[in-house]
Amino acid sequence: MAQAQAQGHVHGDHHHSVKRYTGIMDWLTTVDHKKIGILYLLAGGFFFGIGGIEAILIRLQLIKPMNNFVSAQVFNELITMHGTTMIFLGVMPIIFALMNAVIPLQIGARDVAFPFLNSLGFWTFLFGGILLNLSWVMGGAPDAGWTAYTPLSSEYSNSHGVDFYTIGLQIAGLGTLIGGINFLVTIITMRAPGMSYMRMPMFTWASFITSAMILFAFPAITVGLVLLSFDRILGANFFDVAAGGNPVLWQHIFWIFGHPEVYILILPAFGIISEVIPTFARKRLFGYSSMVFATILIAFLGFMVWAHHMFTTGLGPVANALFSIATMLIAVPTGIKIFNWLFTMWGGQITFTSSNLFAIGFIPTFVMGGVTGVMLASAPADYQYHDTYFVVAHFHYVIVGGLVFGLLSGLHYWWPKMFGRMLSEPIGKWTFWTFCIGFHLTFFVQHFLGLLGMQRRIVSYLPHQNFDTMNLISTIGALLMGVGILLFLYNIVVTSMKPMNAAADAWEDGRTLEWSIPSPPPEYNFKQTPLVRGIDAFWKEKMAGNKAMTPAEPVGSIHMPSPSILPFVMSLGLFIAGLGFMFSREDFSNSFMSFIFNNYLVLIIGLMITFGAMITRSLIDDPGYHIEPEEQEEEVRA
Amino acid sequence: MAGNEQQPQNQAVKHRHRTEGPQKHVVVFILSIVLTAIAFAAVAAGDVNPVFTIILLLVMAVIQVFVQMGYWMHLKDKGHLMPIIFMIGGFFVASTAIVMAIYWVWW
Repeated sequence: MAQAQAQGHVHGDHHHSVKRYTGIMDWLTTVDHKKIGILYLLAGGFFFGIGGIEAILIRLQLIKPMNNFVSAQVFNELITMHGTTMIFLGVMPIIFALMNAVIPLQIGARDVAFPFLNSLGFWTFLFGGILLNLSWVMGGAPDAGWTAYTPLSSEYSNSHGVDFYTIGLQIAGLGTLIGGINFLVTIITMRAPGMSYMRMPMFTWASFITSAMILFAFPAITVGLVLLSFDRILGANFFDVAAGGNPVLWQHIFWIFGHPEVYILILPAFGIISEVIPTFARKRLFGYSSMVFATILIAFLGFMVWAHHMFTTGLGPVANALFSIATMLIAVPTGIKIFNWLFTMWGGQITFTSSNLFAIGFIPTFVMGGVTGVMLASAPADYQYHDTYFVVAHFHYVIVGGLVFGLLSGLHYWWPKMFGRMLSEPIGKWTFWTFCIGFHLTFFVQHFLGLLGMQRRIVSYLPHQNFDTMNLISTIGALLMGVGILLFLYNIVVTSMKPMNAAADAWEDGRTLEWSIPSPPPEYNFKQTPLVRGIDAFWKEKMAGNKAMTPAEPVGSIHMPSPSILPFVMSLGLFIAGLGFMFSREDFSNSFMSFIFNNYLVLIIGLMITFGAMITRSLIDDPGYHIEPEEQEEEVRA
Repeated sequence: MAGNEQQPQNQAVKHRHRTEGPQKHVVVFILSIVLTAIAFAAVAAGDVNPVFTIILLLVMAVIQVFVQMGYWMHLKDKGHLMPIIFMIGGFFVASTAIVMAIYWVWW
């Protein structure tokens, strides 16, 4: 197994020669979790930008009644791709970016458990995302909503859009599943000596629970996407009533995945907030063990509430009542968390950095989303709210007001650790205020639009229904949010031109292990694995008057995994195979194209590339390489 | 093996395993074969009530699963708490989905 490992009893030759790449090849072949984190951030940020542009176009179409800025078909494609892109290709990868960048550092590890898989997870995600977005230029994007309800998605969507959805998400989902398993194993097996489960930082805990949810939830969507793509491409009948199938089955499968998915999104944000608030309040997190308990409880309940998305499907009063109660129960652990954050700030010495502003702004915003969540959980009332803008307002309050605030907080907080440069505080504060005000302008009024009866996913509306002004406000808010994100990008550009001089303990009040090592950390993170003597390990040492962590091992040569291009090749193969499968029943005018696609040649070639890379990986040993103590010294001096 | 602090512990588990393993594993191996043989015999007998056969097969299968998991997958050993938790979790989620599908979609 190629993984970073403590030295001391390594046998045999230390000097395996390993090719070290530079430039673009370095990024294509890297298995370093810090670089993969940056790749996730770049790719996730790119897709987040695409999703954001789609959002702006949606809002421009709805700026006034009976607008014809885009056609109805394009509008359907925009809303579908906005939701799909934002969730699967935008925020999930940015979550993985932070998990990659931070978790090994927080638990005192030199890398993740499976560095090669880590890279594979990134590349499958990226190729899946590219495949999905190629739909815009290859005959039309998916247009059946991000939930792709059957029979709309299976029988009534005639372009290849939904095929791009099923295949693209299948490949991207593979990456997420791989990433989730990797972090589970990393957190279970690679914690530094002394770091028991109940001494893990809250972000690590949240990511651990999130990864477990990924492990259990993603197989459901995998199965669902297989069934849907077989229905569409191979003529199966899983969702076709006429042939004995059942379209409601898709809704169940989708939401058995989909509801845990929204907790997969929000739990890491909870973790980030639980790191940022104690740091900037200079106080230990209030109620740490209840925070852990609440996180586990939310994850557990999250698997038993999926049918609250389907109250109007006709499950019957008993099922609706049960799912109502289960859903409302989730408010209890979530409430515990909210109060714990408030009590953490209580009596603390709070500094309002831009990171902390996002964290503090998160609390009331998320509470508002939570309250509308409890309202929606009431089945009888849901008949009124269902598929209106009230729902749109609710889930944007929890996803944007919760998750995106959390991510922006985390990015401002860990930026010096990831890149060695402090983001500009004044621009950061401008980012927060424009984004926060823009956000509330956009979505607060949508509650009332929904209550007045404006349906979601409609391309236009008639004037004189009291919708006009609020839609205008909403669009102005969306533009302001766009300005906020542009300010953040501007901040990044300005910061990247400054010298790389962030201190190791960049905020001076760092509590967890990542702040005990240089910013950015050396390739091997910890020269000596630290000894953890309590919760908030680094803070504990500082309070005891120590400047650094107590090492748990002598200085020695460090074993590192070698870089590899194979993950990229495997993912490329899946990408080609996906395209081949999608167009296997297409009528091409060009006879060569019909020959290679209709005979499944493209599919086979793609799979051969992937399996060939897998066989190569299995047959050729990867001994990794060692960084000797002398080289470690050189790196520090450089 | 992974983890730094886990290493001594894992070695200890392996070590104890080596000393007490063989006799037990022979017993378990025979048990597995007997369980399988009973199942085959029940079906081969033919004239037994089919309901009885099905129940017997299920009981044999459940025992077999526990034997296999406990001994061959080493879940009975120390240091396997996490795999057990995750298997129970996976079982819970999967059975929820199956019950749902049978009860709501096809009943």
